[in-house]
This record gives sequence, structure tokens and C-alpha cells, in this order.
Amino acid sequence: MKFLMLFAVLLPLLAGAVLPLFHFQQRRQREMYVSAAVGATSLAVLALLLHCPVGTLRLIPLTATLEIALRMDGLSAAFAGLVAFLWPLASLYAFEYIKHESGDDRFFAFYTMSYGVTLGIAMSDNLLTLYLFYELLTLVTLPLVMHSRDVRSVKAGMKYLTYSIGGAACAFLGLMVLYGLGDPTLRFVYGGFMSADGNRRTLVLAAYLLCFFGFGVKAAVFPFHGWLPAAGVAPTPVTALLHAVAVVKAGAFAVMRVTFYCFGPAVLAGTWAQQTAMGFAVFTIVFGSAMALREPHLKRRLAYSTVSNLSYILFGVTLMTPAGLTGALAHMVFHGVMKITLFFCAGAIMYKTQRQYVPELAGLGRYMPVTFAAFAVGGTALAGTPLLPGFLSKWTLATAAMDAGGTLPLLGVAALLVSAFLTAAYLYTPLVDAFFPPKGVGENGLAQAQDPGLYMKVPFFVLMAAMLALGVGSRGLLALLARIAAGRL
Amino acid sequence: MLNQILLVPIFLPMGLACAAILAGRRSAAARDGVACAAGIAAFAACALLLGGVAGGAEFTLAIPGVCGRGLSFKADGFRALYACIAAFMWMMTTAFAREYLGHESHRSRYYFFTLLTCGATIGVFLSNDFFTAFVFFEVMSFTSYVMVVQEESPAALRAGETYIAVAVLGGMVMLMGLFLLDARLGTLDFDALTAAAAALPDKTPLYLPGALILFGFGAKAGMFPLHIWLPKAHPVAPAPASALLSGILTKAGVFGVLVLTGRVFLHDAAWGNVILCLGTVTMVLGAVLAVFSVDLKRTLACSSMSQIGFILVGVGMQGLLGAGHALAVWGTGLHMVNHSLLKLVLFLCAGAVYMNCRTLDLNKLRGWGRGKPLLAVCFLLGALGLAGVPLGSGYISKTLLHEAIVEYIELAAQTGAPVGLYHAVEWLFLFSGGLTAAYMTKLFVAIFIEKPNTPAAGPKRSYMRWPSALAIAIPAFTLPVMGLAPDAVMGRMARLMQGFMNGSDPEHAVAWFSLTNLRGAAISLAIGAAVYLLFIRTVLMRQDADGIKRYVDCWPKWLDLEELIYRPVIEKLLPFAGALVCRVLDNLTEWTLRLLRLTLLRPRPISPRNEADFAPGDFTPHVRRSYTLQRIFGSVSYSLLLFGLGFCAAMGYLIVILLTK
Repeated sequence: MKFLMLFAVLLPLLAGAVLPLFHFQQRRQREMYVSAAVGATSLAVLALLLHCPVGTLRLIPLTATLEIALRMDGLSAAFAGLVAFLWPLASLYAFEYIKHESGDDRFFAFYTMSYGVTLGIAMSDNLLTLYLFYELLTLVTLPLVMHSRDVRSVKAGMKYLTYSIGGAACAFLGLMVLYGLGDPTLRFVYGGFMSADGNRRTLVLAAYLLCFFGFGVKAAVFPFHGWLPAAGVAPTPVTALLHAVAVVKAGAFAVMRVTFYCFGPAVLAGTWAQQTAMGFAVFTIVFGSAMALREPHLKRRLAYSTVSNLSYILFGVTLMTPAGLTGALAHMVFHGVMKITLFFCAGAIMYKTQRQYVPELAGLGRYMPVTFAAFAVGGTALAGTPLLPGFLSKWTLATAAMDAGGTLPLLGVAALLVSAFLTAAYLYTPLVDAFFPPKGVGENGLAQAQDPGLYMKVPFFVLMAAMLALGVGSRGLLALLARIAAGRL
Repeated sequence: MLNQILLVPIFLPMGLACAAILAGRRSAAARDGVACAAGIAAFAACALLLGGVAGGAEFTLAIPGVCGRGLSFKADGFRALYACIAAFMWMMTTAFAREYLGHESHRSRYYFFTLLTCGATIGVFLSNDFFTAFVFFEVMSFTSYVMVVQEESPAALRAGETYIAVAVLGGMVMLMGLFLLDARLGTLDFDALTAAAAALPDKTPLYLPGALILFGFGAKAGMFPLHIWLPKAHPVAPAPASALLSGILTKAGVFGVLVLTGRVFLHDAAWGNVILCLGTVTMVLGAVLAVFSVDLKRTLACSSMSQIGFILVGVGMQGLLGAGHALAVWGTGLHMVNHSLLKLVLFLCAGAVYMNCRTLDLNKLRGWGRGKPLLAVCFLLGALGLAGVPLGSGYISKTLLHEAIVEYIELAAQTGAPVGLYHAVEWLFLFSGGLTAAYMTKLFVAIFIEKPNTPAAGPKRSYMRWPSALAIAIPAFTLPVMGLAPDAVMGRMARLMQGFMNGSDPEHAVAWFSLTNLRGAAISLAIGAAVYLLFIRTVLMRQDADGIKRYVDCWPKWLDLEELIYRPVIEKLLPFAGALVCRVLDNLTEWTLRLLRLTLLRPRPISPRNEADFAPGDFTPHVRRSYTLQRIFGSVSYSLLLFGLGFCAAMGYLIVILLTK
């Protein structure tokens, strides 16, 4: 079973890398090839989830202590499971969407490769492996951001590169401290491997902050969020999957690993480092939502919403309690499902009508019913309406914060609610306009607008069903996440 | 007992909502049938519950794990009765909607959302903890939005905007309150709240969560200063939806306030004072607005607000009176029931008017109701009830509320506390009652008595079909039954309801028609008559050039709290300040980077000769190559090929390592 991990990481990497060599003449052939690779990988991940392999798969020894190695634990399973569920859907969606872009080979090559790299992040055994895959993820997703190769996308790509590499460099400094003062193997241990005594405490805490903000760059924590809205120029399947799920959640995932599995809550809880990290997370929650509200471009609005929602996860992590981590994990999973739906809708609208700005959506609801039904469900869920998943994770986060006590967690709860109100404001405005357009607005040029084809509609139905199911019956999932967060899995 | 019955009135309408929309694709009749069946089924289930509860049974049901925390339901006297009233109202309005919406578009949508709202509202009334109540409350808020904007007119869309904004804001604030309450009391369960709150030696930490939760429920109830959506949303919704919004959705808000007052802040005088103040303002303001209004449904909407104020005054008196608050409990509960039924009748009458005249302006409606005895009688019964005329149902509940105030004044006078303020409340109470009588007279006189401006043209035809007539008449003729036999009907209801508010039987039987009680009503009605004759007929009516007296709308528009404060702050001030701050912060990193590039990290100027060094994929820049070779080495495929080769090599290395181990 251990080799299955290597299989899951390498298969998409290799399949993606050699894809351009085949010179597919027909779209159909490429679709078959990509589906086979992605499907096989997702099946492998499913098998891994069902039979979690025990122990470490050592790949490349680097020094006496450091090595590149893979291992599955509960946290890996949560992230890998989320990614493996969404990747096939996003690929299916991309098959149709890419028809209105060019450079299919290039797109699918890097798109498939990112899958392997993301799984590599999920299944890393130690911080060094995670760091390796983390840097790789920046590199393989860069061509996707720059896909359209115009000035805007190249600039966005450069921005993405600057922020990510800069962040990783910060994290690397933190990694050095962990290596020097903690465990030289850097292996993840629940509860961390730093000792809690007062020896060089300031250095340790500063190193934590370096790691938090370094990895936090991918999780778009203020003030390092700028690349995410800019990266919205990428084709929508990329924005949907990578910039709402894989890449940004990889950042949040790395912060979880660093906080709970390297430094450890015992060292961090109650310190100024925790307060600082939490303060920035709380601020980003409100800030992201406020920015989303004043952003008229739909995809950038959703990107700012992602900025805000990622900080929900970071807020949960920085509470440094198992309950907080449960909430963070729950929001990681739920937000992935909700946000990918919303981006898919934005993409479907762009694909069918070339409209990108919120005021242009007026009146579209009747012509694209499936798309806007998905938008309605996703938007309502994200705003935190009961019976849908967003409410559950926010409730879990807020109760965890209340249990943790203190001023900052309380402020965090208030921030969650303010942000929920803003979420409702920035998502319902387009929704209401789409279904109840002001008289005489947007009537022209709507007739040819219609729902996209089957490849894009199937993900909508699957995601809507997933949201309803998660919203009502996720007791088992939450219990599982709670066990993971308590280090029992 | 069969506890699963509790789920039927909640989830059956929701299920049938989907069925209705599917049936609507085939035929309109089938859809209407499904919708009516849903109402009837929900009512039957609630009636069963009520029957069981009246027989001494109790229904409780907990579904752990759903929605994270788990839902719990319970039907005691109050909740079963209110679920029953809710289902009854849905049954009647759905029957009425068939004709009312007969020529409108989007009927399937109306039925779909109204049935979802039905399930959610009954869910609120049957909930047994704040979490369940909140879940259904939110669902109710969102689904009822579509009922408000059903007609899609600009006014409806604007009112809908206000409605949803207040609902979402209220929901969020309430949620914050629930988190705090849960953290401080350790429970949200209605059964455990009383004991948990009583066990706290100091109640101060409960006031903040209490105020936040009150904000949420009060917003839905239409409490001042969150009433702004109410006079706007009710008139623009279709009449059956207005009846529901006014009659029952506001009560879902009151329901939450009752839980707070009767359980968390049981016998808490400070809390009672706050509710009393807010209630008094709501009561007076609503009545004054109603007097000024010249629009039939707007008058009724403002009246709803005022009546909610009456109910809140009762709630406040519960807190003030302490252990001996039986009269206030009875008055509150009964006025809720009365108001639900009265507004059902009145809004449906307004619906009957609107579907024939297509206008709600009193000047245009003038005299339309002449020669329509059934409608006139139904409207009159509603008006009499609302105005608190003896033998009407409203008289009973208003008398109880008045008695509660008088009782408190006597109690306070005995202990020597200052009572001047409460005397003022009493007089404001009577004054608002008088205004109620005045504006109902205004409506009745304008529609049913005054002569029409232009004589009715064309042949006489039926103005409403029998199902609609029945939907108005059944609740209308229930009203005098309640008013005429107070002990048999209303006393029994009150006894059913009092347990929910931690109340008990009054110390002595209430003499409904004693001289003192009749005196209160008489004062009130005298004020009403004076206002009608001296103010409405003179100041609010002007003689036109053609000699016809017209109702004029002279309430200053700028006094609207929404236009005066809320909208400017939310639409202008906050976005301006927020956008400024956000924009600066958003670009902070970018500006820093740019500054760095201008100073420390300034790029070295590149001469044209060196530029080729930086071309991607070009390893030997100074050698001129053939076009084909350039194509190959400059292509992405070539780069990818190199990348792939590198990976293959890495994998080969891996396999070697693994095999040698």
C-alpha cells in the first residue's frame, strides 16, 4: 500500500509531463488520456483513504537526518480526499471550458502535473518534503496563470512568483530554526517537536511567525494577499481549482502542519506570536470581505472572498486548540466545495456570454437556470445559511473560539459574523439582479445566453448535491475531523 | 405518543413545495391542488398535535447530529397552538391565492417559496432550542424574501432589498448573541434555560447576549428601530403573502422575544423596562403612521407594527410584574393570536379589493365596497376586533394588557416607587388604542360608506369566487365567537399558552366585562372618535376644485428612518470610508515592493546587446541558428520535454534506490 502513495504522486506528474509528446490531433483523445490519468490517481487516493498505510515511504535520503519521504496521516487524508474529489470534476469542466482558449496541450500538461504536486504536499512526511513540493507547486502553476500570454497575465504571473517565492524563502528561515533547535529530521509529530522550555524562546516564536507568514502567502493572509486577485486572469478551471482549493489550501495546510506538527500548540499558545498571527487572520477575514464588496469584477470578487475565507481557516488554526483545528479543517473542506462551485459559475457565464462584471449579470438567471441555481446554492452556503455547509464550519469555528476564551477570539467571532453579512451583501447583489433584474436592464443580447454543455453541467449537479448532503448530514465527517484534529488519526 | 408527528407540518410542506413546482410544469390546476393539499395536511398535523397537547400529552423529538449540533422539537400548549394557527393561515391564504394570483406570472415560484416558508415558520414555532429556532428562522427569512419581491416592481425590489438586508443583519447579530449565550449559560435548550439562568448569581453578563438576540428576533417582529422593512414590504407583496408576513412571520420574531423574557430573563425588571420602552415607541409610532397613510395595505402594515408594539408592551410587563405576571402573560399570548387572525382577515379583504381595482389608494377606492355585504361584514368584524370594541376579540386581549399595566402601577405605588412613567405608558396605550379605532374607521368609511367619485360602470359581476370568499369568511366569523365567549375560547387558549412563558393562572377569575374594564375601552374609543372627527376628517382631508374631499398624504417623507439614517450611512458613508481604507491596505505590499525596486533593488539597466541572454530556452544566444532549430529550442514543448526527461531520470534513480534497499 505504501507504494500507492508514490503512484498517486508520480502518475499525474509523469502523465502531465509527457502529454505534449503525444501530439493529440483530436480533442477527444486528449480528454480520454487526461481522464484516465486523473481518474486513476483519484482511485488511488480513494484506496489510500480506505486503507491508510502505516509507516513512511522513504524516497531520497539527503543527509544523515533529512530525507524526502511520504506518509499518510489524518490531516493528509483530509486534504488529499478533498483534492481527489474535486480534481476529476474540475478536469471535466476544463474539457469544455478550454474550447474558448488555446494551447490545450500546455494547459492540460501543467494542470495534471499540479495534481501530483498537490498530493505530494498532502502526503509529505516531513517539513523538507513539504517545502520541496510547495516550491514545485509554485513552478508548475505559474504557466497556468500566464496561460493567455498577454501582458496582464504575465504581470500577474510575475506577481504570483514574487510573492510565493518570497514567502517560501521566509518559511525556509523558519525551517532552519526548526532544524537547529528542534528535531533535525523535521518529521511531523502531532503536538510538535519543539520543547516548551524558555531556551531561546523569542527566536522560536519569531521563527513561527516567519513560517506563518511565509506559508501564509499562499493562504493569502493580509498583507500578502495581492497575488490572489491578480491571478484571476488565469483560465477559470485554474482559478476555480487552484486558486480556490489546491494552491491556497496548500498554504493553509502548511500552516496547520507547522503549527500543530512542528512548533506545537504547547509552545505557541498564549504567546505574542499566537496573538500576532491570530490578529492578522481576524483582520484579513473582514478585510477580504470588504474588498470583495467593492470589487465589480466577478472573478476578482470571488478571489477576495477566498482571501477572507482562507483566514477563517487560519483563525481556526491559530486558536491552537483541537476544536479550532476541527473548525479549520471543516472550513477547508466545505469552502473548497462551495468556492469551486461559485468559480465554475463565473466561468460558465464568461464562457457563454463573455460577461465578467457583476452589473452585467442582470437578467441572466432565467437564461442560465442551472448555472444560477448552482450560484444560488453556493452563495447561500458561503454566506452561512443553515442547512448548507458554510454554516456548519462557521458554527464549529465560532464555538471553538468561544471555548478558547479571551478578547481576540471573541473579536474573531464578531469578525466571522461581520464577514458573513458582507458575504451575503456581495453575493446576493449579483444573484438578486440575475433573477429579478431592474426593469429594462440587460434585456438585450440575452437571448443566446444558455446553460453550458453537459461537461460543465455535471460538475454543477454533483457539487450542489454534495453541498446539500454536507450541510445536513455531515455529523460523521465532523466527528472524523475532530478525531484528526485531536491527533488520534 | 407518536413524536414523529412533529416533523410532518415542517417537512411535508417543504417536500410538497418541490412537488408543486414539478406539477406546475404540467398544469396549473394540479399545482394549486398540491399547494392547497400541503396547507391542509400541515393544518391537520398541527391540529392533531394541538388535540394531543390539550389532552395533556407532550411531544418532544430530538434529531442529534443534523446540521452539526442537532435539532430538537417540542410541542407544548403555546407551540402547538401557534403551529396550528400558522398552518391555518397558510391553508387560507393558499386557497385565496388561487384566484388572487390567477392572472399573474411566476405562480409556481410563489407556491414553491410560500410552502418552504410555511415549513420553516412552523419549524421555528415547534423548536425546542435556540439553535433549531435559528436554523429555521434563517431559512424562513430567505424564502420569504421571494414572497416580498414576487411582483418584481421597482418598489417591491427596493422593499425586498431592505427586507433581506435587515433579515441578514438580524440573523448575524442574533448568531453572535447565541454564541455568547451558549458560552455563558452552557445550554441553548429551552427547557434548561430557565434553570441555567436562575443559577447565575449575577445576570449582568447575560444582558449583552440578550440584547443581541433581541436585535435578531426584534428585527423580524418589526420592533423599533428595526421596523423600517415592515411598512415597505407588506404593501408591495401579494395580499396573501402580506397576510402571512404580517400575521405570522412577525410572530416568529415575538416567539424569540418571549423565550428570552420568559426563560432567560424571567421576572427581570430591567429587561422588562427595555422591552416596554421599545414596545411603547413601536406601538405609538405604528399607530401614528397608520393614521397618516392613504394606502390600504400600508395602513394595515403600519397597524401591524403598532399591534406588535402592544404585544411587546405585554412582554415588557411580564418582566416588570415578576411572579404575579399572569395577566400580562395572558394578554400577550391572546393578543398574538388575535392579531394573527385579524390581519389574516384584513389583508385578505385588501386582496379582494386589489384584485378587482388594481389599486390600493383610498381616493381611488372610495365607495368601491358599497353593495358588497359579505366583504363589508368581514372587514367590519376585523376592524372591530382590531379596534378593541367590546364583544370583539381584540377587546379581550387589550383589556388584559391594560389591566397588567394598571396592576403594576398599583404595585409600584404601594412600594413607593415612581410611577409617573408608567402612567404615561398607560395613557399612550389608550391613545394608541384610540388611533387604531380611528384609522380602521377611516378605512371602513372610505371603502364601504363614502360615495364613489365616479359611478360604477358596466354590468355587475361577481367580484370574488367562492374559495376566496370562504378563505375570508371562515377566519372572520371565528373572531366574534372568540370575543363573545371569552372564557370558553380565549381563557382556554391562554391556559394552554401560559406554560411556555412560565406563567400561571391569574389569582382571581377575570371579569371580562366589568365596569372598570369597559371604562378603559370607552376612553380609548372616545379618543378614537375624537381623532377621527377632529383630525382625519379635517386636517387629513382637503376639498378639491371639483368639490370632492380627498385624503391627503401629508406625512413628511424625510422622517423615514431608513432614508434619513440607515441608507445614507450604509450606502454612502461606510462604503466611502471602507473603500478608502481598503484600497490603501490592499496596495500596501504592492507599493512597498515598488518602492524597493525604485531604491534598493533597482534593476541594472540592460544594454540591447545583453538582452538576448535573458531569452527563455535559448542556450547559445550568439550563434545564429536556422529557423527550424529556433522553433524547436524556443518552444514550450521542448522545455516540457526537458522537464519530463528530468523527472524520468529522478524516477529511475528512485527505483534504483528502492531496489537496492
